[in-house]
Amino acid sequence: MSRPSILRIAAWPWLIASLAVLVYAFREAIFIVPADAAQGDAGRIFYYHVPSAMLSLVFPYINFLASLAYLGWRRRDPLKALAADALALSAAEVTLVFTSICLLTGMLWGRATWGIWWTWDERLTSELLLWLLYAAYLTVRRYSSAGQTQTIAAVLSVFAAIDVPIVYMSIRWWRTQHPAPVFFGGPDSGMDPSMLPAFVWNIIGWSLWGIFILGFRYAIERRRQATEQEAALHAIEASLETPQ
Amino acid sequence: MNYLGHLLTHLRKDLRLEWRSRDSINGMLFFALLVVVVFGLAFDPTGYPTTTRQVTGAILWVALLFASITALNQSWTRELRNQVLEAQRMAPAPASTLFLGKALANMLFVLVVEAVMTPIFVVFFNLHPLGNTWLLALILPLGTWALVVNGTFFAALGLRARNRELLLPLLLLPVTLPALLAMVQATTGVLNGDLDPIQINTWLKQLAGYDIIFTTACILLFETVLNAE
Amino acid sequence: MTWHSFLNLSTLENRHLLAAYITVWTIQGGYFAWMAWQWRHTKRPRL
Repeated sequence: MSRPSILRIAAWPWLIASLAVLVYAFREAIFIVPADAAQGDAGRIFYYHVPSAMLSLVFPYINFLASLAYLGWRRRDPLKALAADALALSAAEVTLVFTSICLLTGMLWGRATWGIWWTWDERLTSELLLWLLYAAYLTVRRYSSAGQTQTIAAVLSVFAAIDVPIVYMSIRWWRTQHPAPVFFGGPDSGMDPSMLPAFVWNIIGWSLWGIFILGFRYAIERRRQATEQEAALHAIEASLETPQ
Repeated sequence: MNYLGHLLTHLRKDLRLEWRSRDSINGMLFFALLVVVVFGLAFDPTGYPTTTRQVTGAILWVALLFASITALNQSWTRELRNQVLEAQRMAPAPASTLFLGKALANMLFVLVVEAVMTPIFVVFFNLHPLGNTWLLALILPLGTWALVVNGTFFAALGLRARNRELLLPLLLLPVTLPALLAMVQATTGVLNGDLDPIQINTWLKQLAGYDIIFTTACILLFETVLNAE
Repeated sequence: MTWHSFLNLSTLENRHLLAAYITVWTIQGGYFAWMAWQWRHTKRPRL
């Protein structure tokens, strides 16, 4: 094979760097920063929950943009379209990972701090919907018949991109009319400076990790695509060699 | 033939096919009736009129939602027989006319079911709406269109998937949630009479906006889905 | 906090904290392990 790609070269160093940052971030979050005045030690869940929540909103955009690229390149440049599709699939899986973590840690946090597992406010409902939409995306990819999968999944991604903001806004309006418990917190709630180191290290660590697994999944998908294309090529060549 | 002509042809085709077998409408009616009976057994409408009014809106939409899901999957499977779908792809008519024709036909079927269900609801739940009942004539079609347009689209999306019966409800719930919220809140508000007109208007506007956005998205994307291979 | 208090299961807050962290590690680690398994089991294209 010709010179190894940039993904290969960066993989190991990136993995080691992210793990190192994550370990340090864990140390910061648990052992170094002081416990929250109001929430006690349960507030430390915050350092894992919020970075996951923020990342869970970034990867869907990557999926959306890659899906648009796929739909645009589908007829004009099939090879680029394939790469776009691999990126879309990887971003979707990583979205599901981060969204699941956000929901589960959020529920554990809510129960420990406010006594309720769930509330139908705009943030939680939108996050749940994001999870459902991407679970549906991955289900569609698994169960569609070959050849159609990528296009149908791309269309679904467009629907998800339209839907989540609408859900957010409509529930927000509803909740201004009928207030319900809201899980406070999040990066705009005014963080005490003593909490910043843990928060920042965790954001950096989980972002690095997120990019790493995105790249890893992308590489696996590209490899799988290349193998499939090779098999298709062999099949075509074999059919051409049938004796006259 | 212009766009409207194609659209009407597709609509007439779906109506005629349904009229000959009538299995969609019958299935929907029996399903909705079943939901009504089960919920009617669960609590006593005469003894608790307030509770009844609070939940009936939701029960109505649950019954319609599940009934339409059973019909929607079926509406596309009739295009699979005899390779009709391939013929549709090759036809020069715009693909969105096929989609809209089918969506309108499904809409009519569900409206028929609603027309039948509404008196049954009133009877079984002793319903006495406290608000302006004529608003329901606006809420029901707008809400139904939201369900039907997305349902028809996603049923087509999963047409050749191995487990399309699973895909439709899985996709429909998250995508129609804003519309579901609006239609259930508006219906309950009318039944209870406790929402002021501004709020109901806002829910109606949200429903209308949702319908416009998603109908446009479905029309624009249907050709991509039809020619997905 | 110390390791001792982190692994202490006596209060609800502590249990939830520990559960949250373990959930995150399990999900991320599990996904990574699945990726690693897939990487090993995807054939390299010869081209």
